[in-house]
Amino acid sequence: MMLEQTTRLQTTIDCTAFTTRAINQQLKDLASSGVKQVDLLNPAGRHNLAVGVQKPIQIRFQGPVGYYCGGLGNGVQIEIEGSCGWSVGENLVAGTITIRGNASANAGASAHGGRICVLGNAGSRAGISLKGATLIVAGNVGHSSAFMMQQGRLIICGDAGANLGDSLYDGEIFVGGSIASLGADARYEPMTDRDWQVLATELQPLGLSPQSSPFKKIVCAQELYHFKARDFTRWKDVY
Amino acid sequence: MCGIAGILYRHPEQYQRLGKDLLSLIQPLETRGPDSCGVALYSSQGVPSHLKLLLHDDGNVQWHEVRRWLSQEVSIARSQVTTDMLQLILNLKDQPGLDLNRLCQQLETLFPTVHWASLGQALEIYKHVGSVAALGGKYELAHFVGSHGIGHTRMATESVVNTDHCHPFTASPDLAIVHNGQISNYYKLRYQLEQMGAVFRTHNDSEVIAHYIHYHRQSGQPLEAALDQLLQDIDGTYTILVATADQLALVRDQYAAKPAVIYESKEMVVIVSEYRAFLTLPDFDPTATVREPDAVEVNVWSVSPEMNQQHSAGSPPLTSLHR
Repeated sequence: MMLEQTTRLQTTIDCTAFTTRAINQQLKDLASSGVKQVDLLNPAGRHNLAVGVQKPIQIRFQGPVGYYCGGLGNGVQIEIEGSCGWSVGENLVAGTITIRGNASANAGASAHGGRICVLGNAGSRAGISLKGATLIVAGNVGHSSAFMMQQGRLIICGDAGANLGDSLYDGEIFVGGSIASLGADARYEPMTDRDWQVLATELQPLGLSPQSSPFKKIVCAQELYHFKARDFTRWKDVY
Repeated sequence: MCGIAGILYRHPEQYQRLGKDLLSLIQPLETRGPDSCGVALYSSQGVPSHLKLLLHDDGNVQWHEVRRWLSQEVSIARSQVTTDMLQLILNLKDQPGLDLNRLCQQLETLFPTVHWASLGQALEIYKHVGSVAALGGKYELAHFVGSHGIGHTRMATESVVNTDHCHPFTASPDLAIVHNGQISNYYKLRYQLEQMGAVFRTHNDSEVIAHYIHYHRQSGQPLEAALDQLLQDIDGTYTILVATADQLALVRDQYAAKPAVIYESKEMVVIVSEYRAFLTLPDFDPTATVREPDAVEVNVWSVSPEMNQQHSAGSPPLTSLHR
């Protein structure tokens, strides 16, 4: 099939006129045809927008979106000018999602790769079951964040709610503000020069300075990797 | 999954919008709960001694027989039949001590297909199996004038789909609740409340919440104390909206497992399961406060604006049902 010789590099879709399925199909078709940038108007808090886009394209939402925005994306660059609902970037494989607002619960759930930046606050269970992606929250996160995190990096510039890092397996968590409580099998680890460099690399592009907060590092204590009868009460009280 | 919504106006000049706004708010939430829906609406135009009683029937009851029996027990100021409902205004001026719970129980025993939907000076509950649009049309709710209300769209997970099992639920005059979630210690709570005299009318786990709140308020607790206690006693996942004659309240379980978003502007307070429902409000202001309540957060708003309260639970248990 011959591609059109004059591929438009930028286009706009008004979500009002289409079903979510039609919008996502258009985004996939535009990415395949080499369009670089799409602006989506009136997303109106709809769920499942820009889910499953597998080719590089820049997608900009001009307003708040609903649940699962950008989920399963591979190589997409998504910007949301507003807040988002539950599970933004769930199962993200690669690419970036930037939310210029707040994120509801489960931000970055199970994300395997890529980077999700919440410039406001995130709700409970941020980075739940994170599998390798980087999740950055400029504000606070709710309770049970990084629950069962397996790999990757969670950077919280503000405060963290109760049970941070409960039952985590691996990966690293940085918190600039206060921590209500750590979950089972999470422990503090001294910050190294390399950690401060990592924070600088991740935060400076967002206009945030790591030096302005007393960042703490949390990793897995690895004490619950194997069941031991003497740890029974700790297992019983997990979550 | 279910959808819930609540609205409370800060100024009386907004009251004429209630029916239309509440129906608009739950309409997009039909995707969360497509089988049935319902609303509890509060209008405070009544005479103090007048009480509104709404009866619903899924069978073929002869309403004139119901009315005749009722008129022997209580003075009826007005009555009207709307499709499957009988709406009555009872005049309690000469019978101030009348036991209304007993009256409703007797009525349901004599007419087993009849179910009392609501009772109260301000409260009216309308619910059915079907769409929001059909509910609004059937009972002409778009023109309902009132100060506040709550609504629900249901996807049944625990009990049968019929009108009686739809939300909102009530357990006493002017009390209504809607619930998104599941109550995991339902049977235990039900047993305990029945020991205290509660009469359950459905097998829906959400009904226990209405009886629980009624029990605690009856013992003299303010609504916020009852809701703090609820967080200790009710297990499961829940976002619950509670309405009384002059209050609207929100409570969320310790895992914040079910969604809720709060919108507070100069004109109104609105709570919905999903943000997109706000966009149905004709004067939605995106710069107003929009936030999510935290786990174990209790919010109570009053019809008179200076009485607004918000606090986190954590106060010690008061009188309690023993778990």
